[in-house]
Amino acid sequence: MLPEIGHFALILALIVAVLQVALPSVGLWRGNVALMQLSRPLLWMQFFWLIVSFAVLMNAFVVDDFSVKYVASNSNTNLPDIFKMSAVWGAHEGSLLLWALILSLWSVAVSIFSKRLPAQVLNHILIILGLISIGFLLFLLLTSNPFERLDIIPIQGRELNPLLQDFGLIIHPPMLYMGYVGMAVPFAFVLSSLIRGQLDSTWLRWSRPWTLVAWAFLTFGITLGSWWAYYELGWGGWWFWDPVENASFMPWLVATALVHSLSVSEKRGAFKHWTVLLAIAGFSLSLLGTFLVRSGILTSVHSFAADPARGLFILVFLVIVVGGSLGLYAWRANLMRSNNSFSLLSRESGLLVNNILLVTALLSVFLGTLYPLLLDSLGLGKISVGAPYFDAVFVPIMIPAVLAMAIGGYLRWKKDKLDRVVDVTIHMVFVISTITLITYLSIDNIYVVLATFLSTWIVLHSLLLLVQRLAQRGNPSMAFIGMIVAHIGIAVFLFGATVTTQYGVEKDIKMTLNETVTIKGYDFTFRGVTTLQGVNYTGNKGVIDVAYEGDKIATLKPEKRQYVTGMPMTEAAIDPSLFRDLYVALGESLGNGAWSLRLYYKPLIRWIWLGGLLIALGALLAAFDKRYRLKVRGK
Amino acid sequence: MNLYLWFVLMLVMSSAWLVWFLYRPLKNNVLDLEKSNIALGKQKQAELEQDLQRELIDESVFEDAKDEIAQVLAVEMMQIATTTTVETQKPIPIWLAVLIVTALSITSLGVYQTLTSQSITSQNATTLQTEKPPTLAQSIVNIRKRLAEQPDDAKSWRLLGLALFDSDQLSESLEAYEKSYRLNPKNEIMLVEYASTLAKSQGNQFKGRVSTLVREALEVNQNNVDALYLAGWVAINAQRLELTQMLWQRALSLLPENQADRMTLQRMLNELAQMRNADGKSTTTQNKPIAQHQVTIKIALSERLHQAEFKDYYLMVYVKAAQGRPMPIAIQKIKLKDFSGVVILTDKNSVMPTQQLSQASKVLAVGTPKQVGFGNTTSG
Repeated sequence: MLPEIGHFALILALIVAVLQVALPSVGLWRGNVALMQLSRPLLWMQFFWLIVSFAVLMNAFVVDDFSVKYVASNSNTNLPDIFKMSAVWGAHEGSLLLWALILSLWSVAVSIFSKRLPAQVLNHILIILGLISIGFLLFLLLTSNPFERLDIIPIQGRELNPLLQDFGLIIHPPMLYMGYVGMAVPFAFVLSSLIRGQLDSTWLRWSRPWTLVAWAFLTFGITLGSWWAYYELGWGGWWFWDPVENASFMPWLVATALVHSLSVSEKRGAFKHWTVLLAIAGFSLSLLGTFLVRSGILTSVHSFAADPARGLFILVFLVIVVGGSLGLYAWRANLMRSNNSFSLLSRESGLLVNNILLVTALLSVFLGTLYPLLLDSLGLGKISVGAPYFDAVFVPIMIPAVLAMAIGGYLRWKKDKLDRVVDVTIHMVFVISTITLITYLSIDNIYVVLATFLSTWIVLHSLLLLVQRLAQRGNPSMAFIGMIVAHIGIAVFLFGATVTTQYGVEKDIKMTLNETVTIKGYDFTFRGVTTLQGVNYTGNKGVIDVAYEGDKIATLKPEKRQYVTGMPMTEAAIDPSLFRDLYVALGESLGNGAWSLRLYYKPLIRWIWLGGLLIALGALLAAFDKRYRLKVRGK
Repeated sequence: MNLYLWFVLMLVMSSAWLVWFLYRPLKNNVLDLEKSNIALGKQKQAELEQDLQRELIDESVFEDAKDEIAQVLAVEMMQIATTTTVETQKPIPIWLAVLIVTALSITSLGVYQTLTSQSITSQNATTLQTEKPPTLAQSIVNIRKRLAEQPDDAKSWRLLGLALFDSDQLSESLEAYEKSYRLNPKNEIMLVEYASTLAKSQGNQFKGRVSTLVREALEVNQNNVDALYLAGWVAINAQRLELTQMLWQRALSLLPENQADRMTLQRMLNELAQMRNADGKSTTTQNKPIAQHQVTIKIALSERLHQAEFKDYYLMVYVKAAQGRPMPIAIQKIKLKDFSGVVILTDKNSVMPTQQLSQASKVLAVGTPKQVGFGNTTSG
């Protein structure tokens, strides 16, 4: 009976969402306050029923209710409880329910934490969020009902994909969804302003902290995904330019451009067109990512669905959202005119360059991701666009963006003088060039030299800016500190990614008992393999002693698991540290006690995720700037 | 508590919440857009002055920037003046509240009925109330009851066929499937299940009516993975191994990337490829270490099979679980001339990783001589 209650709660959430849109809209149209204010209580009710629905589904997983098709397809009695719970979002239907729940959570947060927004603005925003919610709830109920019952109840369920039986799955999707869905908030702010015909300071100022929080979650989600792929997939890689990864990276690039564009719009009243388009593009790309992942067009560990009906629904939804919002934009374009001028050398210009480069980078990723799909769908053949394309196109676009990033903070609003900027930064150029030259003389890798130059460029400029600000009167704002932290995060990421790519050592080798292989001074000695019996898998566990200069520093135990479904899984063993990771993955038995093994030495790989975390932290710090706690007296 | 009562309770909760806020409206945010924009304009001016102190803006353009802020505010004020509507505090009439609550209730229940596509009859509601899922026997009784009321329900006949198959009542299962077939011969799922059951009843022979049913299933949906899989076995029966390979490869391409059945199918394809390429390289289990779980089969060959004309023939040994689906769970192929009279099968001979030989407590074994390494059951 519980699944029927969960299903009905989902339907109630849909009907309430419809009321949340309809009644306040009538209220706004007729000027009726009683109807207008219903947007908030109805939203909370929608949230409540979604929580009920989600809790019922989670309960079905925990109690092994295999009469529910979704549970039977993704869980079994042998699955550990923690993975039974995370299995709720381990496949298509549940992850869509989580998506709807998170959208509702964001909406509730907006309704509670936007006390400084005038009621009419807030009601419009909640109506837009309600409309998006209706779209997703319809999608769930019409094509992806997670409570569908089975006619014949199996004694045992199937299995959650073993790749997803991991701590990474517990947190990576919810964090990524927080970012994806969070992009709906700036989108709703923009649309409500376009509908009201008031693209004013209120919209610009109050949408920025929400955009920053969404961007922080998106960054954190992508970082977690990269970390998960590194240790779980057994390839030792951290980014594969996989179309599904790109699907999350594209909204991130737009969100990055948006937070910068918003800073100009809210302070100087410029770039309004640009900001509106970026907000629309950010959410549209989130939907596009959903379409790519859920339609079955792409196949990867992320692709849950291979159902054309679902793909078609999202495609139609995408067309309505993009078409509708661009139509509104065209209608209201005349309201976005700005007479605010700025010279070629100014902070506004610097941020414009940043935006143009980020959007160009986005287009290069967009092209590389969608072009093969387009060719395939037109029957013009299959092509594969992989890392070589992205490395060749994306990286060169980002180099000037990184250079501009460090200088941008020194530029003045409206107008600056070249000699002043040169005066401020010339000594830094000298210091950085010296460091780079020393690096060049000591190592022969041009990529690492370039990364050293760019990273030092960002870090030293950021630190100098901080010192200058501290020397002035008053404490630096949280927005400023957030910017410094995020920019240093980019530098840390850049350096880590380059060094690990250039100096990482990977060896696929055969090892016999007590054989030793040396990589970068680390001695890996193979001590044999033992059998393994897990709750829902069997397998083998390798034992590898690692020594450095004769001293044993770690014993690594990589596993090769065979799950009850028959799916094999590699569980890599990692000895982590801030400066290098030692990574071992167990391969196949080659007979006579010999095994194939993958041994990796990964210098500075942790810096990649440390950089990601710093960027997310910087965004959060900026979102809590005191400017966003402005108190306005009431009527 | 009855499911209906739960629904009513949920609707009452929703309605009460809605009505409460209709007549006890929330206090709106007590600021209007005009005041908000003015306050933000002032804040921007203050920030601009701060920027001047921090040398983030040049003195020469400071006044311009200040004017721009004022101009932006003026434009915003103008926009507000042209778009603001008069707000009223009119009370909500009772009829409107009743209408909203009624719409909420009727629409919710209507959508539920439409989506579940089955009326919550008293019988179903009783079933749903029990938290414990019904047993197979209970399911059969329930389906039969339903069929007594609706004898033309093809779906229920199919379900009965499936339930009877699972309880090993093959002949009754076939009858149920036949009734379902007559009522709706275009149900691809039924066609596949019917074919599978029929094959089991024929001692795992995928020929005759079985192949007709599989073909019909593929006519309905050429991408039906189960039908393609069975068609592969039909092709094996007809000794058309290339066709089998093609059909299974097609089935494999249709399965999603993370689908566990892919592994099974891939392994079977590998097995098939090995068998096709195994000319003169026959392997027997004789030299392999004997695993803990094993099935030893002694087969006495007739004198005729020892004659020279059969020297290139293979002995195919299939093992299937005594209870369960008709597909073999382990296969062994031995060149007839090398056969010593005993075959030992272990988990290594399992066809599917999900169903190892050692998982079956009781098995049936079938041996058959074949020229190409695959063949039908001829003796048991």
